[in-house]
This record gives sequence, C-alpha cells and structure tokens, in this order.
Amino acid sequence: MKNQKNIILYLGVLVSAILLTLLLGSCTEEEFNPGLTKEFTIQSISNGANYNIKVGLPGNYNAAEKYGSIYVLDGEENFDLVANSCEQIAKNNATQNVLVISIGYGQDRSIDYTPTKVSAITGGGAEFLNFIETQLIPRIEQDFSVDTNPASRVILGHSYGGLFGACVFAVNNKLFGNYILLSPSIWFDNEVALQLELDNRAVNKNSAQLVFMGIGEAENSGRMQAPFEALYETLRDNYTQIKLSTNREKGLDHVGSKNPNIIKGLNYYFQNR
Amino acid sequence: MKLKIYLSLAIFICAYAHGYSQNGLAPRDPENSPARKLTIEPGVGIHTNFGTDFLISNMVQWNPNKRLGFASYSSFNLNNVTQRDFNHIKTDYNYSLNQKFGAGTTVYSKKYSHTFFAMVGIKYTAFQETLENPNFNKVSTSISAFSPDYGMMYSLKRGWKKYFFTARFYLPLSPWLTKGAHIENIQGTLRDTALEFGMGIKIK
Repeated sequence: MKNQKNIILYLGVLVSAILLTLLLGSCTEEEFNPGLTKEFTIQSISNGANYNIKVGLPGNYNAAEKYGSIYVLDGEENFDLVANSCEQIAKNNATQNVLVISIGYGQDRSIDYTPTKVSAITGGGAEFLNFIETQLIPRIEQDFSVDTNPASRVILGHSYGGLFGACVFAVNNKLFGNYILLSPSIWFDNEVALQLELDNRAVNKNSAQLVFMGIGEAENSGRMQAPFEALYETLRDNYTQIKLSTNREKGLDHVGSKNPNIIKGLNYYFQNR
Repeated sequence: MKLKIYLSLAIFICAYAHGYSQNGLAPRDPENSPARKLTIEPGVGIHTNFGTDFLISNMVQWNPNKRLGFASYSSFNLNNVTQRDFNHIKTDYNYSLNQKFGAGTTVYSKKYSHTFFAMVGIKYTAFQETLENPNFNKVSTSISAFSPDYGMMYSLKRGWKKYFFTARFYLPLSPWLTKGAHIENIQGTLRDTALEFGMGIKIK
C-alpha cells in the first residue's frame, strides 16, 4: 500500500515536472544569432523618445551586395522569430536573405502606432512615422548595405502595429513597397484607417505594392473580422497593380495567430517580391 | 506522437488523483452518500475571458463503480454578449456548440464528490460581423468552423440527496499544447477556460 502510494507520488512529480518544462519551454523564443545582430539607440527628433534598434544581418552578409530590409514593429517581441524565419525561408527558396530591423519601444506602443488621438495614450503615429522616414531609414541605409529602392523595404506589424502599417500604406504609400499586416486594428477610431485609404486612394491606386493580410479565425471579439474584410476588399477592388494575399489562421485567436501569420507573410514576401 | 504524450499525461494525472483518494469509505446509508451512479447536471457559466461569454451546459455522469467515471458534456455558448455594436461594427450572431466525452476518477468526502476528467470532443463556432459605417461600403464577414477540443475538467458535487449543487471547471489544452507549446497560444486557452454552476439530479 505504501509502495503503491510512493509510486503514484513519483508519477505525480514526474507529470508536474513535464508540465512545468512544457510551460517554461513555451516562454522562450529561439534567439537570433547574436554574432549577426547589431544594436544601437536613436532618439527621435519628433517625439523625443529613445528607440532601441536591432539589425539582424544575413549569415553571409557581404557589404558588396545590396539587401532588402524588413522593419519590424513590436521588435522586442518579434525580432528573433522574424530574423530566424527570414534566414530559413531564404535558404529554402535559395534566394538572398534580407536585413531585419527591429524597432523597440520608445514610448507606449499605443501612442506610436495609432493615427489619431482618442485618449491620452493614442495619436502619435505621425511623429513615429516621421522618425522612421527621416531618421531610421536613412541611418540604416547609411550604415548597412541595403537596397535604397522603397520597393525592397517591408514593414511588418501586428494588431496596433498592423493598423500603423495600414495607415502608412494610405498616407505614405511609397515609403515601403511591401506591407505585412497582421490582425490589424482597423476598428480603431471608427475605422479611421479606411478613411485615410479613401482620402488617398486617387494617388495610390496605381502603385504596385505587395500586401499580405493575416488574421486568426477565432478572433471573434466583435471588432476584428469585418474591418479586416473591408480593407481586404478595398485593396482587391481598387488597386489593380497590387500583389495581395490574405490568410485566416485556423482555430487561433488574436495573439495565437501572430507567429503563424508572420511566417506565412514572410513566405509570401520572399516568393513574390 | 503528440496525442500519445497527451493521453499519457491525462492517464498519469488521473492515476495521481486516484492515488490520493480514500481506498474505502465507511459503510454508509446509500441514501446519505455522495456516491452516485448516474447524474444529470444542467448548469450555466462563463468563460474566463472577462465574462463576456455566457454558457448553458449539461453534463451526464455515469460511474459504473465508485472510482471510475465517464461523462458526456454538451454546451451552447453565446459569445461576446456584452459588445455587439462597436465603432459601427455589428455582431449579427456569435455562438458555439461543444460536445465532449471524458473519462476520469472520483474521490469522495462526507458531503462532496470530486471528479477529474480528461475530456475529448469537438467545438463548432459560428459568428458574423457587419461593418455598417456610413462612410464606407457595408461589408459582412462570417466564420463557421469546427475545431477539436481537449482538456481537463474538474467536477464538484455537494450534497447527497436527489438534487445537489454542482460546479465545474474546464481547462482546455488547446490551442496551448495541442496547437503548439508557444506562450502566445495561452491566450486562446485562457479564453476558453470555463467556470460553471448548476443543480444536479441523481437518477441512480
């Protein structure tokens, strides 16, 4: 009887250890090769915030070549996955890799990534975009061997980051040639991103941008799916030159769908750039 | 391979709980014992996503013997009931249906019984949103999808009469673990975690 209880106790400890290992293991993201990562800080002239920038270089980085560049919003969360995925996808497709530029948080992301002020912590999108356009991109193109043609630039964002990407598409369409918009918060401020698109459509509609839009099929909070579809249909119906793809990640919600959609978006970019 | 690991884990957990159960109960008047063979337990509850989903559920539990229990669980969930019109986005409908089956073990105390189940089943979700902003074209999008539903359920029963109090707690193992052990899948798992209360009826 005592032996039986001991065995069961050991089994219990074993099960707990396995579950704990799985839980802890799930918290880690495989770090991108530190030897290929450059890091520096830039203070924004527009808003005064300090942005920590990481640049992930291709494994065989050669200063004599020109590389595409991917600017990653929420960089502190997404950089490792994006940089590792780019390396793998470029290898699988036997094509040139890109530089991955992680934009860290200089201030609250909801300030930087939203276009209009509806509360104390929104509405800094214009200043943040100005920082990217006038400070970050020039610095990257000066210090690294990247292709300066906007067609070789990508912006990748999720949620408010996807909203920011959609707004950049509308108001400064030529700054990036490629947009990976994941679960974009198009609902923000009565769908102001759709209004910005409409206001600038006449200027932008003949541009040949690549846009990948991803969302989670289980995002049923009553605000994500219809505006997502509205943006998708707007781009599909009004932008004749656009390369457009969409993906609904099965069974996953707003956060859970992010990583699978990042990988699908990067694959779409590498295969269609 | 994954399924084998999860099944093994479920069996270990059941064995673990079983190990701490009493081996025998003092002889009692069966009328005053929390042990039951067959029960029906309707209930209501919420998901733990800030209580925005409302659940109506029923569980039928059959204990062929004191320790071993089987269950059939069904629920109808009205999802996101508190926010159906937001920034010109209307939710036309949003519901899900669940059917799960489980096996587990029951332990008893004087007035309570506690059953731990490993559950396997299927979930059907359907919702439709419509953007009705007068500045843009009206756009509707609807989703209907089946998804697997695995998890662990704890069922508490209090009382020994024909009618008794029940509470259930369901922890899904999907998307976290079954879809992938990445931390970002935990939000989905927490969203579907359910807490329910109801009244049980002893059939046998």
